[in-house]
Amino acid sequence: MTQAITARAIPELLTWPEEGITRVPMHVFSDPELYAWEQDLIFRGPTWNFLCLEVEIPEPGEFITTHVGDSPIIVVRRKDGSISALVNRCVHKGSIICHQPKGKRTRTHNFVCPYHNWIYDFDGNLTSIAFEKGIQQKGGMTADFDKTEHRLTRLNVETINGLVFGTFSDETPPLREYLGPVMVEHIERTLHGKPKILGRYSQMMHNNWKLYIENSRDNYHPSLLHAFFSTFKLNRLSAEGGTRQDDKSWHHITFTKRYTDKGDAAYDSGMIRAQKEDFGLKDPSLIDQWMEFPDQITNSIQSIFPGFVLQQVMNSLGTRQIITHGPEKCELVWTLIGLEEDTEEQTYVRLKQSNLVGPAGLVSMEDGAIGGFVQKGIKGDLDKRAIIEMGGKSVGGMPTRATETSVRGFWKVYRELMDV
Amino acid sequence: MGVVSKRLKMNSTVVPLPKQTPIPATVRDAIATLQMQYVHAIDDDRIERWPQFFTEKCVYQIIPRVEYDQGRLIGVWFCDNRAMLEDRVSALREVNVYEPHVYRHVIGPTEIIDHADGAYHARTSYIVVRTMSDGEMSVFSAGRYVDEIVVDGETALLRKRSVVTDSYRYDTLVVIPL
Repeated sequence: MTQAITARAIPELLTWPEEGITRVPMHVFSDPELYAWEQDLIFRGPTWNFLCLEVEIPEPGEFITTHVGDSPIIVVRRKDGSISALVNRCVHKGSIICHQPKGKRTRTHNFVCPYHNWIYDFDGNLTSIAFEKGIQQKGGMTADFDKTEHRLTRLNVETINGLVFGTFSDETPPLREYLGPVMVEHIERTLHGKPKILGRYSQMMHNNWKLYIENSRDNYHPSLLHAFFSTFKLNRLSAEGGTRQDDKSWHHITFTKRYTDKGDAAYDSGMIRAQKEDFGLKDPSLIDQWMEFPDQITNSIQSIFPGFVLQQVMNSLGTRQIITHGPEKCELVWTLIGLEEDTEEQTYVRLKQSNLVGPAGLVSMEDGAIGGFVQKGIKGDLDKRAIIEMGGKSVGGMPTRATETSVRGFWKVYRELMDV
Repeated sequence: MGVVSKRLKMNSTVVPLPKQTPIPATVRDAIATLQMQYVHAIDDDRIERWPQFFTEKCVYQIIPRVEYDQGRLIGVWFCDNRAMLEDRVSALREVNVYEPHVYRHVIGPTEIIDHADGAYHARTSYIVVRTMSDGEMSVFSAGRYVDEIVVDGETALLRKRSVVTDSYRYDTLVVIPL
């Protein structure tokens, strides 16, 4: 336990409703003590957390800094080509060691804390302390201070198709086992070449991190909230699509096959806001796409527990990483990617379709606001419970997107890890 | 170089000419008027006017400074013709869901750096304060406009505007153009 040290025990904070995963107590989205427990039991628990793309640190000594939940992390390429992830906190006074977002360290410098020049190697070992022996035989560290007893906390690291994941816990199963074959297959399918970064930005959201993750697994909302797609009949629930999960329902994929849309009376009745007959794109080239995947899937959102999303919105590929900022705020870091194998024309299509995603995304921008709407709405009613019953009461993949099965999957895992 | 290659080479840095070429006063006036009218149209919620500040074939992008400076392609917003800008306006009026808010732009003086390929290359600092419908105010964005401006008589139009935002973080959403 590293962050819940002043929090009360979980049974004092949270009793799960008798109905199970179809009900979610609202105060889990605002309680600071539960938030601290989540840091320990989820982000530092037996989970794999996305750290970066391998292509960000191709050369030995190259590093980036990121976060796992609240914890600051350094990810660095070792001399032998492997990747090391360390908590970015000096054992001396607790200062951040690396304050640059990215850079390169040579073998001789390694990581030097700017405060008192305590020095660490890429494995997190404390190798040197400035004035360790004092100056002119005066001062210095006490004789019994043993540097080998102090080191940076190290995460276990594994990669898949250029994505780098880290875990704090030795109990976490190997990455591919953690993901399960369905998730592994989909990652390999989406990242079908050598990824390269086309752009990056982040979106600050005024809501608890779990509200965003629920949203990423909620395949019932997109055609309702995100009217852009349904207006242009690009992502209607009547189009062929579905929900896939791993065996344990930790992770989720929602997908659509655009060209199988046969129409549905519910959409043509004028009841759904998206249906505006007078609305049409003046420049339809925005949604020009090429059929990139043999499975004919034109949209897929893959959500890996706890805080990672792999996106395919037509030809816009990207990663989304959640970073927590206290109980009522979180940040989503978007990295839009192309493949080294792309032609210039394909790169240009990815560029144009970048308009669909991110904080200014014609399709996705509402996700930045909707969590904040919930966060505002629940104030004063923290004893209430959310209702998660669309598509039944259980978990598991379904051949429809009119379901919240994967939201229930999230709460199933949450309860397991928080033991509630 | 193919058309697409040219389009992909978007964020080339314009180096100021060593010798200051005198810029005609009429050109300076036309550019100053463009800058002024552009921000007032947005701040006054006359967004329909916004696409008309651009030439028909144009580029409008919003991209974080750190990305722009390293020549990355994708920011949060990219349009390559006026019809796309108009679609953005329709979307914000008719489709997208967000809490009502307004911007207040404050812009600095425009530095005209160069005249090349039939356009004036210029940059202008801006700051945007966002006011939400509940009265909450915040500095939403600060950065620079990096422009290519075509001047014809008294009329100046944007052939390209890169809104280079100092921060790579955007609060909630960006539905109104900067």
